[in-house]
Amino acid sequence: MSADTFDIQAVSDPLENHDSEVVAANERSEFVLEVTNFSVDYGVGDNMVRAVNDVTLHLRSSKVLGIAGESGSGKSTLVYAMTRLLRAPGVISGGDVILNVANPDDEKLSTAVNLVTASEKELRKVRWSHVSIVLQSALSALNPVLRVGREFDEVLKTHRPEMSKVQRRARAAELLAMVGLNEDRLIRFPHELSGGQRQRIMIALALALDPDLVIMDEPTTALDVVTQREIISELHHLRSRFGFAMIFITHDLSLLVELADEIVVMYAGEIVERAGARELYEAPRHPYTLGLLNSFPPLHGPRRELTGIPGSPPDLSDLPKGCNFYLRCPFAMARCEREAPALTSIENADRSVACWLHSPDSSAPVPVELSRSANSARNAAASEKGRS
Amino acid sequence: MKNLRLPKSPKVLLGLGIVGFFILMTVIGPWLAPFNPSATNFAANLTPSAHHWLGTTSLGQDIFSQLLVGARATMVVALVAGLVATVLSVTVGVAAGYLGGFSDDGLSLLSNVFLAIPGLPLLIVIDSYLPVSSRSNSFVIGLIISLTGWAWGARVLRAQTMSLRNRDFVEAARIIGEKRHRIMFSEIAPNLLPVLASSFLFTVLYSIGAYVTLAYIGLTSTAVWNWGTMLYWAQANNAPLSNEWYWFVPPGICIALVGTGLALVNFGIDEFINPRLRAAGLTARQRRTLGLPRRVRLGFTPVIRPVRTPRVSTAPAKLVGQ
Amino acid sequence: MRIIVRRLSLYALTAWVAITVNFLLPRLMPGNPVQTMIGKLTGQVTAAEMNAIRLSFGLGFKQGLVGQYFTYLTQLFHGNFGVSITLGAPVGAILRESVPWTVGLIGVSTIVSFAVGTFAGALLGWTRGSRLDALIPTATFFQAIPYFFLGTVMLLVFASNLHWFPVLGAYSQSVTPGWNWAFVGNVIRYGELPVISIVLSSVAGWMLGMRNMMITMVGEDFVLMAVAKGLPRRKVIMHAARNAVLPSIANLSLAIGLVVSGALLVELVFNYPGVGDLLLQAVLNEDYPLIQGIFLVITLTVLCANLIADVVYLALDPRTRTEAAV
Repeated sequence: MSADTFDIQAVSDPLENHDSEVVAANERSEFVLEVTNFSVDYGVGDNMVRAVNDVTLHLRSSKVLGIAGESGSGKSTLVYAMTRLLRAPGVISGGDVILNVANPDDEKLSTAVNLVTASEKELRKVRWSHVSIVLQSALSALNPVLRVGREFDEVLKTHRPEMSKVQRRARAAELLAMVGLNEDRLIRFPHELSGGQRQRIMIALALALDPDLVIMDEPTTALDVVTQREIISELHHLRSRFGFAMIFITHDLSLLVELADEIVVMYAGEIVERAGARELYEAPRHPYTLGLLNSFPPLHGPRRELTGIPGSPPDLSDLPKGCNFYLRCPFAMARCEREAPALTSIENADRSVACWLHSPDSSAPVPVELSRSANSARNAAASEKGRS
Repeated sequence: MKNLRLPKSPKVLLGLGIVGFFILMTVIGPWLAPFNPSATNFAANLTPSAHHWLGTTSLGQDIFSQLLVGARATMVVALVAGLVATVLSVTVGVAAGYLGGFSDDGLSLLSNVFLAIPGLPLLIVIDSYLPVSSRSNSFVIGLIISLTGWAWGARVLRAQTMSLRNRDFVEAARIIGEKRHRIMFSEIAPNLLPVLASSFLFTVLYSIGAYVTLAYIGLTSTAVWNWGTMLYWAQANNAPLSNEWYWFVPPGICIALVGTGLALVNFGIDEFINPRLRAAGLTARQRRTLGLPRRVRLGFTPVIRPVRTPRVSTAPAKLVGQ
Repeated sequence: MRIIVRRLSLYALTAWVAITVNFLLPRLMPGNPVQTMIGKLTGQVTAAEMNAIRLSFGLGFKQGLVGQYFTYLTQLFHGNFGVSITLGAPVGAILRESVPWTVGLIGVSTIVSFAVGTFAGALLGWTRGSRLDALIPTATFFQAIPYFFLGTVMLLVFASNLHWFPVLGAYSQSVTPGWNWAFVGNVIRYGELPVISIVLSSVAGWMLGMRNMMITMVGEDFVLMAVAKGLPRRKVIMHAARNAVLPSIANLSLAIGLVVSGALLVELVFNYPGVGDLLLQAVLNEDYPLIQGIFLVITLTVLCANLIADVVYLALDPRTRTEAAV
């Protein structure tokens, strides 16, 4: 089945074509995750709503991909569906998700698993040992009636049956130490711990089996700013130490810039911009990215005016005919109302945007906010600060 | 408040149908009855026939007539008990939940005490002291049953009131300076309606069971026809052991059916209160045509691969040669 | 533990209310049934028995209501429930004979019913949407059948017609009561059908309650996480079920009362020598001291069962433990 979809996709979207060439040219294992033409619906038939539309993403091993967008942009739906964890009435309605599982000891044992077509057994094997996940609320993610130690024990017992009880216990203590917690936390119940401790435990648990990919779904949103900072820097540290790849979902773009190598911005179920983290932060190309950047104070660097985005996210069951962002866009043109722009490469291979402003046949000049170079952006911000 | 429609699942419709049928029987049953249920002018122990649909008792009474006439007393007592108990539950539960503090402690204690005392034995004790004249009075019996059946509803309503109490619209009414009892009855009460309806059905269910039981052990007047007294006479004349199923099975089935109907309607209300209980809105046929499994396993999101029709605007050809 | 103390005081209060109701009812009812009864008995019983009966109603002395009340409490405190009018024996002694049968029958039935219902409910909740859902209307129907009616039908079909089970009573006339295998085996044999009847009547309540809680729990994040961890299905279900069972146990107090009420009548149907049968006899004969004694014993037993349920709940839910420690 993937053969036909691939053909259609090659015609329909030049970008995918380009990326699949990259896959072919390099070692396969360079990417830990390859998502192609991935679509997710809620419900089927008449009441169907498309929550994720035709998304293509590639994540290199040991890199951090940030996914940003407002609530309802489909960012969480995307990652839950990718891992087949999306609840009913969610349905995957197209595309492939290839997880390349590296085996450091023996190159030949490295395998690729298509999560979309994988059986329950295959999925169970891949889960947690290769892909783990950290949720926004650790309180609800931990079983309220189990001691924290049991969660570790259970994961190790399931995936590392050869370990003894003593070894499992030692491993749990070691993991807790990694996130800066004393091993006496293991005999605690979730409600006896602070929010920061719980989230650290979730992170330790996510790393229990040395996964290739860790998915973080707004792991710091429920925490206070100080704890948030501590956890982000810990994640930084852990990643450089263990080299797992990470997908980090948040609506807070400035947080992503600290952590991510690459960022995609989602709007109404589609990727509207994709770029290196620094580039995207300093020189956004999509009006929505610009709006998101203006909605949050930066963690570092110059302060700037917070403007936010007027209007509210669109109703997915009643999307406009043209560009989804058209109604809220300060730079909307006549064409945006009629035709939806496709995600198209601009400037370099790692950058793409879905916006008519950057189309080569667009007659309108690109607004100055959306045409800064990475360096000039820094200058502009500095001068803005000087003015205010 | 606007969307108080019950979910239209087959379960709920079936329940409404059954309950409707028995309400009709309550209203017109006594008129439809072909004979006087107490008249003993037929041959005894007749098996079912065209003349006596459910045969006759060992006293020569027409069982089918007893069934039709008995529906009314059974349902009226259950309804009276259900209504009175619900009024009690609402008063105690809503007051406790809304007032909080000492009033809450006192009222909760009261309902907890009534919850902990087993209802039927208490009922039997109270009823056994009643003068025989009151035992034939449906309203007296209904009142006593309601006394033992209101506490559960009060507990549920208290919890719901407490959660409503802190919501914005109640807060707003308080700030505007509306009077307490006004807030309680015009702001909170309407939002309690689903829980209230559920606890009412539950109480009616309990009351039918309690009334029939009292009648079965002979603690209501055996001269008043209801499904319980039918069972009492059947038992007293050894109908079960002489295989006279047509005597004792029909009233039992009627009781069970009314109860089933009420419980099925209650499912609908439960689904209304707790959205997680609602099934995903797909008909079986839709599921089949799409090749979806009958049920979605948690953690194994189903995959459908329809014929791909890419949105025309997603990839305009002119952009390709960029 | 604070929670246990709180529950204990609730039960103590409930017991007191039950005792007081028991005391007040015969005195406040129109027509004063106690006087009527004593009038009826005059000449039928010996003077000593009459005195005991008067005493158990606090009528032995020319006292006001308050004085009678304290006499009554003192009598109760010394285990004196009065004398049965019809059986002519002390109520306490009669109850000692029949209470073990009831506790055994209802205790076993409740445990079996809870275990089966909870297990089936967990399964139904987990497989929601599958063909097993067809069980729900059937279960609802069984739940709505009065206990005594189902018992009667079971007795008729499986005992008197199919002869799969012995017909009536708690043990065969041919065995001698005592702690020997023949007798115990016989009691179990005779208990099967009553237990099955009570379980069939009560299991649906546990099952449907557990199903709803299970569905609610499956919506929780930690269950999704259990799947994300790649745990085998059995363990995922356990994660949900372990939490879903808590409300069922918390509701035991209500349910025990209902099950006991229903099961008492099953005893009656099967001629089981427990307090249910005794209660009916007492009611029919207007044996008020016996009725009151039975009511008190049932209430106290139910309160004990509630206390056990509370302890189990505390053991299973760490959150309440912490609350209690604070």
